[in-house]
Amino acid sequence: MKLFDVLLGRTKPAQPNLDHLFGLPGAQITLEASMGLRPTGQAGVCFKPATGQQFAATASEVEQLLDLGENTKIHDESDSYGYRWAVITDDDFGDLINEVHIVNTTLQDHGWGPQLLCSVFGFAPIPGGAADPAAATGAPKVAGTYLVYLYKRGTFYPFVPLPAAEKRDSDRERLLNVTLAQDLSMEPDLERWFPLWGLPVH
Amino acid sequence: MLTTVFLLGLLYALFVTVLFLVGLKLVFVLVIAFVLLFVQYFYSDRIALYSMKGKIVTREQAPQLHAVVDRLCALADMPKPQVAIANVDMPNAFATGRDRKHAVVCVTSGILRRLDEPELEAVLAHELSHVAHRDVAVMTIASFLGIMAGLLTRVLLYAGLFGGFGGGGNRGRSGGRGGGGGQLAILELGMLLFSALIYAISFLLIRTLSRYRELAADRSGAILIGQPRLLAQALVKVTGEMSRIPTRDLRSAEHFNAFFFTPALARGNGVSISTLFSTHPTLERRLAQLTELEAQMGRTP
Repeated sequence: MKLFDVLLGRTKPAQPNLDHLFGLPGAQITLEASMGLRPTGQAGVCFKPATGQQFAATASEVEQLLDLGENTKIHDESDSYGYRWAVITDDDFGDLINEVHIVNTTLQDHGWGPQLLCSVFGFAPIPGGAADPAAATGAPKVAGTYLVYLYKRGTFYPFVPLPAAEKRDSDRERLLNVTLAQDLSMEPDLERWFPLWGLPVH
Repeated sequence: MLTTVFLLGLLYALFVTVLFLVGLKLVFVLVIAFVLLFVQYFYSDRIALYSMKGKIVTREQAPQLHAVVDRLCALADMPKPQVAIANVDMPNAFATGRDRKHAVVCVTSGILRRLDEPELEAVLAHELSHVAHRDVAVMTIASFLGIMAGLLTRVLLYAGLFGGFGGGGNRGRSGGRGGGGGQLAILELGMLLFSALIYAISFLLIRTLSRYRELAADRSGAILIGQPRLLAQALVKVTGEMSRIPTRDLRSAEHFNAFFFTPALARGNGVSISTLFSTHPTLERRLAQLTELEAQMGRTP
């Protein structure tokens, strides 16, 4: 932060960084090989709705853009924190990443970059697939495995909620963090691995 | 409240002057001033928390509050400050700490009870903006500069006096002692008045600066949540509640007004003077800015 900005009490709204989304296909292969996880085919784009008609127009524009794809479904959800989620379902992981990218760039092109919070990709164990090292040690069953992308940082972090209310499997998250370090830029500041309880993505 | 703060500052200036007159070295006085500054700067978080009886809360103790702060920090791309709750029924919130890494955001249990979640989020966005703008550091240094300005003026005056009169005074010492002493006393009185004036001006300037930074935090906070209307709602709600609370309970908190969400003082009479002196802009001024922002965001993306 520049001295001048400090003196004037100014901060620039943080702009998102979307480039790192394309590191995900590599991460998909790693997860499948070493953790026995594969994409669920769902992803969510989380943003903070802002005032104004322009924003409403942007939201419908995104929906129009994405409805073109045949195997793609998108629906809107609001969470209890007042954030909105565009939940996208597409069985092709490559397409899913592209669609998440489209949603984000559309929002960004309309000046809503600062309103983007994160994108979340869902993963699930492959039935009868490669042994999950964590499961072999008798670790608790998890409610889902997610990769969260923080736009403003350009980093990912794993989020593994447990079925019990508001508990997360930190061991497995750390394991995922180490496993993915080669493929993705992981968020080094653990304080920023905030939980997303009750997120509308599977 | 106004007179209290003003007199306190005046006392400080007089105290320093008396230290001078008693014959303490300038260096020593400067060291005291610097120590005061350092204590204020490095312990601002602890001092403010202690005086408001704020307690740092963990994620487990206040999951909802942490979740809101988490998300706002991710949106603004800033490190998460510590979160504290003060068990006070007065609805308010404040941010303290010298930089982003030592920041604490504190809300009172009163504000948690009165505001709904989107409004609370707006208040937290305002406080996080104070942290991002480094307002504690700026205000601490600014008020120190005010005190230093008073000090330096006096030093210059001293230098002028003794530099100018020094030679003559020594030579004519035996002859005009009585008259010289009277002259010196008048000059000293003049110096006192002068330093008081300097202090008064810096006091006004610091207040102006504080009001400006409140508006800046309102603006950044409103842009962060994307809905200025929510911050306006929270302001109206909290200010309405604040003025209904008897002044007596608030007096203890008044010294920390500078970093509060809304100042803890009942509206006095004499509006023009109190606006000039207050640390926060009037509610009308703040609401006007937020309404304008809201209109702007509706027009252009």
